[in-house]
Amino acid sequence: MDTPAVESHRGDRNPSLIRISDFDFSYGDKQALFDINMDIAEHEVTAFIGPSGCGKSTLLRCINRMNDLIESARIDRGKVEVNGLDIYDERVDATELRKRIGMVFQKSNPFPKSIYENVIYGLRIQGINRKSELDETVERCLKGAALWEEVKDRLDTSGLSLSGGQQQRLCIARAMAVGPDVLLMDEPCSALDPVATAKIEELIHELKNDYTIVIVTHNMQQAARVSDRTAFFYMGNLIEMNATDQIFMSPDKEQTEAYISGRFG
Amino acid sequence: MSPSKTVVRESMEKSLFGKSTKSKLVERLVFALFRLGTYFVLLCAATIFVDIVYKGGKTVFRSEFPFLNVEFLSDSPQTLHVFEYQGRKYEMSDSNFRSFRQGIDEPIVTETYAYSGGGIWPCIAGTLLLVAGAMIIAMTLGVLSAIFLSEYSRPGKILNAVRLSILNLAGVPSIVFGIFGMGMFVLAFGWNVSLIAGWFTLALMVLPIIISASEESMRAIPQGMRDASFALGATQWTTIRTNVLPYAMPGILTSSIIGVARVAGETAPIMFTAAYALRDQLPWEGLERWYDLFFQGVMALPYHIYVVSAKIPQNEYTSRMQYGTAFVFLFIVAAIALSSILLRIRMRKKYRW
Amino acid sequence: MKRFFHEELEAIRSHIMEMGERAVESANLALRALEQRDLDIAESVIEGDEIIDAIETRIDEEVARYISLRAPVAKDLRLLFIAVKASHDLERVGDEATSIVKRTKKILASNETYRELGRVPDMCELAISMLKEALFSFIQEDEDIAYQIIRQDKEVDALNRENFKEFVELMKDDASKVDVYAEMIFISKSFERIADHAKNIAEEVYFLLTSQSLKQVLKGDAQT
Repeated sequence: MDTPAVESHRGDRNPSLIRISDFDFSYGDKQALFDINMDIAEHEVTAFIGPSGCGKSTLLRCINRMNDLIESARIDRGKVEVNGLDIYDERVDATELRKRIGMVFQKSNPFPKSIYENVIYGLRIQGINRKSELDETVERCLKGAALWEEVKDRLDTSGLSLSGGQQQRLCIARAMAVGPDVLLMDEPCSALDPVATAKIEELIHELKNDYTIVIVTHNMQQAARVSDRTAFFYMGNLIEMNATDQIFMSPDKEQTEAYISGRFG
Repeated sequence: MSPSKTVVRESMEKSLFGKSTKSKLVERLVFALFRLGTYFVLLCAATIFVDIVYKGGKTVFRSEFPFLNVEFLSDSPQTLHVFEYQGRKYEMSDSNFRSFRQGIDEPIVTETYAYSGGGIWPCIAGTLLLVAGAMIIAMTLGVLSAIFLSEYSRPGKILNAVRLSILNLAGVPSIVFGIFGMGMFVLAFGWNVSLIAGWFTLALMVLPIIISASEESMRAIPQGMRDASFALGATQWTTIRTNVLPYAMPGILTSSIIGVARVAGETAPIMFTAAYALRDQLPWEGLERWYDLFFQGVMALPYHIYVVSAKIPQNEYTSRMQYGTAFVFLFIVAAIALSSILLRIRMRKKYRW
Repeated sequence: MKRFFHEELEAIRSHIMEMGERAVESANLALRALEQRDLDIAESVIEGDEIIDAIETRIDEEVARYISLRAPVAKDLRLLFIAVKASHDLERVGDEATSIVKRTKKILASNETYRELGRVPDMCELAISMLKEALFSFIQEDEDIAYQIIRQDKEVDALNRENFKEFVELMKDDASKVDVYAEMIFISKSFERIADHAKNIAEEVYFLLTSQSLKQVLKGDAQT
């Protein structure tokens, strides 16, 4: 037994893709995030955990500027950089940014259109209508989302006719179609049964070869299973961010330990 | 069973068995009252409906082929001539009477009844034109403002004030709309009594219904669908165009069904702005320029009912006309409503979320 | 559905197998060192024990990690429990082998000759076969093999008692050989302990496969 047979889970990190620095964020008078600093490495799964209202979803929605759509949302301080580019620079077009940073939501929300049209929605609204290109995208993305085999014979049926887990995978395929580098997932399994959840988790594990994934989850076991790094938030503060093994086996902070072991409050 | 168990059971029996007879009586009385109220409303509606269908049916239908009173549905209102000729009693509209008299030399003594002969085709055409134009204008304006209110406007005091005034607009009596339409469109804009003045007056009247219902149905669309669209790089307008409007359409149509019924049925707003008591030409006849269509008055069913029931001496012949018109009017409103309902059902099926 | 992290369980299983093979090898080498009076072999057993200890630490870490991150239940969880217990048993086998070669070295250093090994080679052979079968039942997931191993342990105990009597007799015969045969008694005892650990592993495998305690089952079988 000279060399370890199992890959080390605490090895070197991939290079950083998203850097959040000194980030303060408010909804109206209520500050939601306090002085967040973190690096999100590319081709890793980063999980955000913490109790409800801890700011984890808020931070996720800051990464693709979905919070722009909320009236009272305001950045007080700090930056979010992707590949070194400040995404809140006034020259940045938020709609273009969202094509590069896709998002999957808590409640699966396919459009009431066919499966085919759901996948290519992002292309259609860009004015892409070439049949061959659309066909290719549909097949590639549905395969990528591990849904192709289940739906290839009924691409023209409504996306809403699928089961919950299939719908969520359809939403992932749809997000992949616009060619993002990053996939943000906001509690993607919270409405799914364990089998559908397991499928999504398997998919996430596959997808990290091609995408950088940030996942918000209430389910700590899910964070433990799928993520490489875990960030624990509490009341708008980033309490601890570390390799997932480290967080779940020997966290540095007492608050983290209390939360993950269910001794909270 | 142990003694303590028995005690518990007895106390349970006490509380569960035999509710007091008084509260049971009250229960029954109240229930009967509700039932009675509902039956009364149903009875009223049924009486009116049966009365119109029965009496109007006599005017509209015939016992022999083609079973429909074709003259009534395709002719203009005319004076009715009632006379005796060679021992037989005749009832004839003015135009028929004239051609009948051609071949007869001797003078015929007739009793004439204004508005009681001929048919109501110009009224049907006028009503259809009024409804169509008013609904197009109202839905365009209504949907535009609903989009603004639901999707673009910033929540605040001003928005609340706008909403409140729209709601208040719905409570304004229709005669006020009529007078406003006359002042604004007929006089100030110089459109005279015309189709277009009627359109805008009617449109203004149904706008509140359409705006609030459209806004409601747009807001009912899950935020998730909008979010999904934004997250795929869609702009706000793209999102509204592809992901809000199509799915709000069934709701908007529902509100427009109510709108159609109101537009078709209102008399007061059009009596000063669009309706003629009698016009020989159909709206599309005798136009010099195509857009003259908009600037001419039309006959309309509700106004015609008003005229034949309130403006002329009453007798058995006018009463026939009144019921016939009411019956046709009822039928048209029901048909329009039914077709909108069918359209809505089809859309619901297509855009179900 | 097989989950991506189930490979980690396979890794733990294969580590136990590797540890088992090394433990068997150590016990074998210990006997050879004794029979052939070979110091080099003795050294290699001591070196091998360090590796066995390292694997045990590694298995412990992997099990702790798996329990922390994967929330295992049922058979997966039993596997992790027995991984910890079996690796401890195997580590003890390695320790016993080390202790055997250390005593062998002492005997060789005293330059005393010994002509009699008693039933020690037989014991060793039996203990090793028990160990191999325990590991075999683990790979094959065959609880019947595990069940059989328990009987063999009695034979090893009997051989150990025979050895004890024989070595005590030898000590009585020749007082100068007391040191040698005292060590021999301990060596015999060590092989007996190796067989005990093999029996433990068999019990653990039985629990893994049936979730029943083999001791309880044996009691039940004895009554019927």
